[in-house]
Order: sequence, then structure tokens, then C-alpha cells
Amino acid sequence: MTPRPLSLLCELTYRCNLQCPYCYNPLDLRGYRDELTTAQWTRVFEEADALGVVQAHFSGGEPTLRGDLVELVGAASARGLYTNLITQGTFLEDALLDRLLAAGLDHVQISIQAPETELADRIAGTAVHGEKLDALRRVAGRDVALTLNCVLHRLNHDRIEAVVALAEALGVARLELANVQFYGWAYRNRLALMPTRRQVAYGEAVVAAARERLRGRMEIVYVLPDYFGDFPKPCMNGWGSAFMTVTPNGTVLPCPAAAAIETLRFENVRDRSLSWIWRESPSFEAYRGTGWMPEPCRSCERRESDWGGCRCQAFLLTGDAGVTDPACSLSPHHATMVALRERDGGSVAELVPRRP
Amino acid sequence: MPVERPRLGKGVRLRRERDGTAMLLVPEGALVLNETAAAALELVDGQRSIDEIVDAIVTRFEVERAQARADVCELIDRLSERRLIEPAP
Repeated sequence: MTPRPLSLLCELTYRCNLQCPYCYNPLDLRGYRDELTTAQWTRVFEEADALGVVQAHFSGGEPTLRGDLVELVGAASARGLYTNLITQGTFLEDALLDRLLAAGLDHVQISIQAPETELADRIAGTAVHGEKLDALRRVAGRDVALTLNCVLHRLNHDRIEAVVALAEALGVARLELANVQFYGWAYRNRLALMPTRRQVAYGEAVVAAARERLRGRMEIVYVLPDYFGDFPKPCMNGWGSAFMTVTPNGTVLPCPAAAAIETLRFENVRDRSLSWIWRESPSFEAYRGTGWMPEPCRSCERRESDWGGCRCQAFLLTGDAGVTDPACSLSPHHATMVALRERDGGSVAELVPRRP
Repeated sequence: MPVERPRLGKGVRLRRERDGTAMLLVPEGALVLNETAAAALELVDGQRSIDEIVDAIVTRFEVERAQARADVCELIDRLSERRLIEPAP
């Protein structure tokens, strides 16, 4: 039986006014300029609801650059979907916020690049930190859930304590500290962004202490960099198991980073129903379940807890999306990953800012 | 000891499926609920006290009062820790 998708990531546009070098968006954005229309997205929400999806996450690029964002949130909300806006916050003026809340928006996630203006603006490639803080303060006072997010990497990893302090001062109920995952622009910039072992150990200690101190006041979600673990992350909880992503041009992906897998052909909602794509398309079937697994996954007792790790990472590091994620210490390609992380003290490579 | 008159936190929604099963939708996730937990959370409205919620559960399900109270308190404590339940203002 085909599993039920619970979560739909709606990448409304890849346009963005920031140039974060850790962006997971594809390197070549030219194919995504022909964006789905309001009516096409509305059909996607209807089909997603019929498939059993309960949450719609609006992301990008920067989703507030879509002029019809309020309408889209309203359309998803009207189908009973829980709506989550993932934004960098610089366009979140009070008037837009009013309209989004009236349309039924349930949750806002605002990202910062660092806790201090100078570093944050350097990472974003433009002076926006002040506007972000302003948006955070205004959303915190509204009747909507708010998560503060900060993507961690070598440049800001030592500032975790200050990020926690900022979240505390803002009074947010939820803080997400996610180590950068190496896809898209982040993969291109991996040598400059890879945290050091010392940074990761320090981060874990800071988070553990903050969680203890803030119990019941703030939930801290901390995502470890899988380059530093012994086993891979259960990416998407399994390919085609619970998540799907619709990109700005209507391509449907089992994982937000999957467009990088050149050996698969992904379907588009302009040509096929979401239901067919989820249930029957070769791309969703390719790595669903455990039948596709080679050794060492096939006979591994963890195969139904980490699902062989991430297919996109396997492709990026080995050229084959159908092998064990090299993040796994049992993978024959694990040395490739170890070599990438063991560069402590080496010269810091130059960062390439994301371009539109 | 949980809060006296609990309510759902911001961005927390109880959802009933077409087949009657219940889910708690929360920022970036969904928790599948058993029938007792769903019935308790349907009464978490910032008005009712823990005792009133326990009364309703005992009336509706075949369960000892002490057990029902322990279960409701545990559920509310666990969700309060993540701020998915908050005290009424």
C-alpha cells in the first residue's frame, strides 16, 4: 500500500533578495522562472488534501515575493491544511501580516543569519538584520506561532549562545538551530561552511545547557550535522513516505534537494495529477521502502529507521543515488565524507554568494 | 503538577480525520493521538479545569478516576514542556 503523505513543501518562487551562501536552492535557477499560477497552486492544495496531507509549508526563495501569497494561504487553509510560512521576514509588514492571519496562517518561521548585525548582514550579502529583528518583534506579539531559525555553519557556529539569548529576549516559544545541510549552494560552498569538530562539540554543550535552563519556556530544536555522526539522518523519513515538495515551476520532488539527482526524471503538476505522481510515478517509486537497497543497507537492522539516509547526498558524493548514504560509517564511500569534515585548521575556502 | 486551566498554545490545532482518528497539528509536525488523549484535548480550552476534564473522561471511558487523572496530567505536562499547551492568561 502506498504510504500517506502528511506534509507538502510549497516552494512558491526561487526569487530572493538575500544571497546566503548556504541556500539549498538549485545552482541553476533559470528553469524555475515560469512559476505556477494561483489557480494551479489551488489545485495542488485540493489534490494534496485528498491524498491526506495535513500541513502546507510555504517557502522558496522568499515566499512573500509572490503577490498572491495571502490568496494561497487562504486556499490551503480553506482545505483544512495547517499553514506554515518560512520567510526571512524583510517584507513582513503589519498590513501583510494582518491579511495573512485573517487568511488562516498558523505558524511563521523567521530566519536570522547570526545574532549580530555585522556578521548577519555579511552572511546574507545585504543589510537586512535590523528589518528581521523588527519583524520578529512584531510577529511575537501576534496571535500566531513563531519559530526563530538560524542555520549554523563555520562562520556563526561559535555564536549559538548569543542566538539563544536573542530568542529569549524576543520571547519566542520555539528556536530551531539547524546545522547547514550540504545541498545546492551549500554543497558548492561546503569547504567554507563546514563547521569544525570543536565547534560542533561546543554547540552541543551550549544547546544541552540551554534546553535544561529553558525547559517549559522554549523548545530548542537542534539538528546535528550528519557529517559528524556515525549513521545517516532518516532523510524525509524515507523517500516517498510522508513528504513531497512542489517547486516553483510545478516539478514534484520527494526531497527538496532531489532536483540535483540527474539520473531521475521528475514529474510536473502541469502534466500529471499530484495523486498519480505520489502513487505511481517512477521517481517516487525509485527509492520507496527498502526493496531498492543494496548492501550494507539491505541486511542492516537500521534499514527501517534511517531508510539508507539521503538519496541526494548519496548522488552528490558518489554519483549514484541508489547507494548507502556516505554519512553512514558502514558505507564503502564513508571516507569521502570523513575527508570533507577533517579539514580543521585548513585554510578557509572562498564563499560564493547565491545569485538569483 | 500541570497548569490549572490549560489551553492549546499558539499554532496548535486538533484535527479530526474523516475516519474519526485525531491528530494534533503543531509547528512543523503532527502528533497522532489515541482516543482518550483526543477527548481530553478537545476539552482543553482555557476555561475548564483539570478536574473538569478528568470528570468528562471518566464519564465517557471505562477508566478509574486516579488513572484518568494521571494520564491527563502526564499528557498536559508533556505538551506544556514544548509549549504546545499553555496556562490561560
